[in-house]
Amino acid sequence: MIEVRELTKRYGAVRAVDGLSFEVKPGYVAGFLGPNGAGKSTTMRAVLGLDAPTSGAALVNGRRYAEIRRPMFEVGALLDANAVHGGRTAVNHLRCLARSNGIGVKRVAEVLEQVGLAGAAHRRVGALSLGMKQRLGVAAALLGDPGVLLFDEPVNGLDPEGIRWIRGLMRGLAAEGRTVLVSSHLMSEMAVTADRIVVIGRGRLILESSMRELADRFKRDVLVRTPDVAGLRRVLEAAGAAVVVDDGALVVRALEAGDIADLAARHGIAVHELTPRSATLEDAYLELTEDSVEFRTSEVAR
Amino acid sequence: MDVVASEWLKVRTVRSTWYLLLGVVGVLAVGTVVSILMTAEWDRSTPEIRAAFASADPTVFVVPFAQFAFGVLGALVATSEYTNGMIRTVLAGVPRRLVVMASKTVVVGVGSLVLGTVVSLLSYGVGAVVTGDRPAPIAVEPFAEALPSLLANGVGSAVIALVGLGFGLLTRSTAGALVTLCVLMFVIPIVAVLLPAPWNNRVVSVTLLYLPSQFSGALTGQLSQAEAFTVMLVYLVVALGAGAVVLVRRDA
Repeated sequence: MIEVRELTKRYGAVRAVDGLSFEVKPGYVAGFLGPNGAGKSTTMRAVLGLDAPTSGAALVNGRRYAEIRRPMFEVGALLDANAVHGGRTAVNHLRCLARSNGIGVKRVAEVLEQVGLAGAAHRRVGALSLGMKQRLGVAAALLGDPGVLLFDEPVNGLDPEGIRWIRGLMRGLAAEGRTVLVSSHLMSEMAVTADRIVVIGRGRLILESSMRELADRFKRDVLVRTPDVAGLRRVLEAAGAAVVVDDGALVVRALEAGDIADLAARHGIAVHELTPRSATLEDAYLELTEDSVEFRTSEVAR
Repeated sequence: MDVVASEWLKVRTVRSTWYLLLGVVGVLAVGTVVSILMTAEWDRSTPEIRAAFASADPTVFVVPFAQFAFGVLGALVATSEYTNGMIRTVLAGVPRRLVVMASKTVVVGVGSLVLGTVVSLLSYGVGAVVTGDRPAPIAVEPFAEALPSLLANGVGSAVIALVGLGFGLLTRSTAGALVTLCVLMFVIPIVAVLLPAPWNNRVVSVTLLYLPSQFSGALTGQLSQAEAFTVMLVYLVVALGAGAVVLVRRDA
């Protein structure tokens, strides 16, 4: 269980995180989404006690991180796969970390096996590909078999096979009843991994919802083409729909396609086209974060 | 204890540690060669020239280099984790930062104390073997007389290594820590010579390289043994204290 309460983190005049509150409970993959610079990494560092909040709190299992005596048994985190000493071998890297929490070499061998790095155990970390370093970072997070896991942009640098592996891993960890928070700036990635999402922009919470609610919320409208534009419009508006005419077609909100068809049939109005239109999750995300993109490219790019 | 064991493992599993120790061994080898050449020159010289000789004890040459190497090692124990970001993983594993710092202090302090003493003794031994039963001034001091300063060299190694660690935690940058250490160890003594007396000697007497010999009583005239010890403590408290404050207060 991760609780972020009214978290604010200021760097000089910049509020990287601004009054952010959300919760992540065990048993599902929580996607932590926002444009670059939205404050995702800062929030995760605050949860891990690495950055001190300016105000507010970040709690893990109800406690401040600094109060946990052997945190590796409670929380595992992969923040930056490149944040390793390139001169150590993979196995020595993990042994150094494991030793600080009294975890033995046997467990190190197990996690190396689990992430598929057993064959590279004695290679220097600096010589590993980014994908292998991501696996090494996951191995480090799993050392203490923790119930809470945080991954910061874990698919960066992974090949398609690696991406599929990490998706499966995260879903598996959540299915075992663990709390899993994974950040990304890509909605498409979260759409296939996360059960719930927390969307932030400019350090503020934009949305916290399940993926299903999000999809429902951005079910946009129904496009209706009919020879009797004025007649159908009257009928639909009488039934409570919001209707606008666009390029000779009706764009209907607040009524389902089936209801529209039924109403049209009852009033004897012909319908030539009936298309429910929903925003893709990607569109939904862009719409949500539109006002909070830190570094906007010119419109041409979109 | 687990954290100390982890820090000890970290020091042993990076190549830079072994390169530095290899460097110390290299300097010891060079010191040996110099000692042999000096002694050979002595053997060929007339009594008048012999009178102008200094001792062929390589310690004077080997120990300052070794101490600097330990200072580098101390700095790297902190800065190598900041330059790549590994410190975040380390502190996520052990959120009590002073425990991490204390463990680093134990590993660096004990390691450099032991190794510094060994290097000092080895270096003296080389001088003793090379000069054999030749008389002063080429001979090394008798062991009983040399021992306090040899042990003080070990203490000096530990002090410099820990000052390096403190600067490493303070600056979080290898270059920053090493430049600061170099200034304290090598630049200030050179610049101080240009100061008017008695300030030249006063300033030199409180620099890192000259404290151990005053602490052992081998070098007299400025600080008493107790004063030299106090000044070494001040170095430790200031460097490690500043490092600790930054480690605890600043975001990792």
